[in-house]
Amino acid sequence: MEENLNKHSNISAADLDRLTKEASEEATPSSAKIIWNEFKADKPAMGALIIVIGFILFVMIAALFINTPKMMETNIMNYNAAPGSNGFLFGADTGGRSVGQQLIVGARNSIGIAIGLTLISSTFGICWGLISGYFNGYIDWGMQRVYDFMMMLPMTMMIIVLVTIIKNYNAVTLTFIFSIFYWEGTSRLIRSRTLSESEKDYVAAAKTSGTSNFKIIFKEIMPNISSLIIVDTTLSFAENIGVETGLSYLGFGLPIQTPSLGTLIANANDPNNITQYWWTWLPAAILIIILCLSISYIGQVVRRSADASQRHGITD
Amino acid sequence: MSLIEIKDLKVHYPIRSGFWNRVTDSVKAVDGISFNIEAGETYGLVGESGSGKSTTGKSVVGLEKVTSGSIMYKGKDITKKSNRNHLDYNHDVQMIFQDSLSSLNPRKRIEDIIAEPLRNFEHLSKDDEKLRVLQLLDIVGLDADALYKYPHQFSGGQRQRIGVARAVATNPKLIIADEPVSALDLSVQAQVLNFMKKIQREFGISYLFISHDLGVVRHMCNNIAIMNRGRLVEIGTRDDIYNHPLHIYTKRLLAAIPETNVSQRKAHREARLAVEQVYREQQDKYYDEHGDAYPLVQVSPTHAVALPEALAQQIVQEGEVKA
Amino acid sequence: MWKTILRRILIMIPEIIILSILVFLLAKAMPGDPFTGSINPKADPAQLHHLMKINGLYDPWYQQYWNWVVHLFHGNLGNSYQYQEPVTRLIGGRAINTLWLALFTTILTYCIALPMGMYAAKHEGKLPDSIIRVYTYVTFCIPFFVILVIGVWIFGFVLGWFPTTGSISSTATPGIQSVGSRIYHILLPGILGALFGTVNVVQYLRSEVIDAKRSDYVRTARSKGVPEKDIYKHHIFRNSLLPIAAFAGYSITGLLNGSLFTETVFSYPGMGLLFINSISYRDYTVITALVLIYGILNLLGTLLSDIILSIVDPRIRIQ
Repeated sequence: MEENLNKHSNISAADLDRLTKEASEEATPSSAKIIWNEFKADKPAMGALIIVIGFILFVMIAALFINTPKMMETNIMNYNAAPGSNGFLFGADTGGRSVGQQLIVGARNSIGIAIGLTLISSTFGICWGLISGYFNGYIDWGMQRVYDFMMMLPMTMMIIVLVTIIKNYNAVTLTFIFSIFYWEGTSRLIRSRTLSESEKDYVAAAKTSGTSNFKIIFKEIMPNISSLIIVDTTLSFAENIGVETGLSYLGFGLPIQTPSLGTLIANANDPNNITQYWWTWLPAAILIIILCLSISYIGQVVRRSADASQRHGITD
Repeated sequence: MSLIEIKDLKVHYPIRSGFWNRVTDSVKAVDGISFNIEAGETYGLVGESGSGKSTTGKSVVGLEKVTSGSIMYKGKDITKKSNRNHLDYNHDVQMIFQDSLSSLNPRKRIEDIIAEPLRNFEHLSKDDEKLRVLQLLDIVGLDADALYKYPHQFSGGQRQRIGVARAVATNPKLIIADEPVSALDLSVQAQVLNFMKKIQREFGISYLFISHDLGVVRHMCNNIAIMNRGRLVEIGTRDDIYNHPLHIYTKRLLAAIPETNVSQRKAHREARLAVEQVYREQQDKYYDEHGDAYPLVQVSPTHAVALPEALAQQIVQEGEVKA
Repeated sequence: MWKTILRRILIMIPEIIILSILVFLLAKAMPGDPFTGSINPKADPAQLHHLMKINGLYDPWYQQYWNWVVHLFHGNLGNSYQYQEPVTRLIGGRAINTLWLALFTTILTYCIALPMGMYAAKHEGKLPDSIIRVYTYVTFCIPFFVILVIGVWIFGFVLGWFPTTGSISSTATPGIQSVGSRIYHILLPGILGALFGTVNVVQYLRSEVIDAKRSDYVRTARSKGVPEKDIYKHHIFRNSLLPIAAFAGYSITGLLNGSLFTETVFSYPGMGLLFINSISYRDYTVITALVLIYGILNLLGTLLSDIILSIVDPRIRIQ
């Protein structure tokens, strides 16, 4: 082959560097760069991105300086101290515990679980959808039946039952329990796109080029649905913040000694708290709302940049 | 020995129906065809859409699950996956697709697209690989600038050249060309066909050229098989098919080639109507009671037609009398 | 068509069986038993042992499961240990409350979502469309329980417009007054559920109508001189209606899941609240029955939607 090519082409090894350089000057930007340009062009989106990342970093670092067991000690002297009194910027709850500190640690825990849940459930859902969609036939059929069964399960109830069964659970076990039930949406989305991608000729071309199924799935098809994956993951992240906090609110999420935004909102279950001592729960509620809105706004911008016709940023 | 020997190839798709979803019937996309491809030749496979010619091509390259029959290459039946893997079959047999846009992964740069078979079959060093890609681009007439661009930045003709570059990258013995030019403008068609021929001369490649366009096939192929409803109706050399067609389906296809000479348009139209007339009147003579084509019978060393023996002889004699 | 439905139902049977085994085993695996502490804190261990025995709690699990299934087919779900009353009757009473709330929420959702989707599509790309898009997206991404808590705080406690607990006022006399009181109690949770559950219907209807607007048959109608209003009413809306109705089936899953939160926040005595309470009392019979009912309702919801969709579009009939 080599002599053959050398005979019929004027290009030889000597031209390699020069031609490579010429080609790199003409190279087209990658899609990551396109998304970044989109953020630079959209000021509110940039703001949301900074708020979310800044806030996550802040709670992660600040929580390191808070002694959680000490913070969770009851102190009757500070019973429902109002914001600004007794040295509590955000007030204290019924146990005299600082709401401000609980907010930081609680946000750290809730966001941490949401990130873990998003990573695990999205990864699983993406793999499931890709494999199910790529291999037609019995594999897909079997995987679809499992999917149907999971869809039938009443998620929240099952999680509550599991949480009651497992005696000593912590944030990590909890994340895994949630993950069992939150991959279906992603997997269905990915499967339907994979089905249509697999029909395309580039997949056939990859097969005839000797590429393995595994590589075709993850290196050929996955990049083509990457924008869908990014958008879905961002939106799942926003949604997943609601999962842990919701269950903690019902009393089946994180253990009571571990504060979460959900346990803080659960303070509202006490009729006295909800009206008189609003500072025990309202800040946590507002924090969740701001977080979810910012994250899904970021998701919207990513979606827009994935859809070339709606781009704001200059891409070339 | 032929490069590829296809024997009684069948590809059937099951139809499931009824309450238990059982297989009740099948679509016979390819229903028992046999032909050989010789080294260095271009073999034409012609038929209307839905005749099973693309399925045949995909079976030969190993993309389609074959129901029965065999495809022999180097003495091994490559309808079995283990044999394909063992032979590194796709190193030697490659494919050019009809839709150039869909056959190139939109998220990959041209370098990665052309290098894909090289990476899987040849394991070159980074620099050697890049050099090879640049040479391939040069051969198909594209600049080195193309290296880091994406498929959508090229025109249809350029994309089809990239597809050809990928197919010849491993210097294969056979390339399946599935309607390689039918999505292109006429002017570009000629360009692509000519450099496909050039590459064939330089690298000694065989083509299985699949097309519905007898005009294009005449330009490209030495041997031609005509396919109709999953079966072959006529096999022969270019001369056999174009100058001595025997089966009514072949005659219809030939009559459908547009006549560019305006002064003969009327004669051409009459000839076409006459063929159509014969087809309507004698349809059941040319097909069996299920509407399928008959098995092939040899009428000359190179020429075979799917007709009952007696009828075939009769038509051959009629043809000789006329000539 | 009937074959398709029948086959779907056949596929459902193994699913329900697996679910019932799963649920039963999970309930058995829950720590504690329903008797310790519920009778008398100083109960005699021997008496407890006896109670466990006569309730069959020492039998191997498959035997307990089998007994449970046999009873199930006789319409007997056992007795609630917590309430000392048959589970069927207990859940029956609560199910009606949940049903009313779910029905009210669904109807209200459609009342809000349908005009909104049509309006957004009519003014595609203009200000009303953007406002509706922002609205659906905001309501979609905020966790529902947060909305409920804030809603009950503002409208229930601060403004005092709506009751904050129960399903009926204790002073209501039977008759028209009691019906009024019931409706009054589901008003706030229903409105909140509807306002924050529009996103699917609005977005689907909007994209359907925009597609229809560009289709050839609408263009033909327009060129024939059919008034704009009639085009929307007769041509576009009617075509989109059935798929929209199909959403009702799928939304059952969401409504049931939401009922756990809604009923907790509003102390509304439905199935969701019953479940939460039963968990703390380890009331197995009630827990298993409720999970099973929720699972089956989920299945029926999807089945309903699939049937409606397969009537609308024969292409998606399940093979």
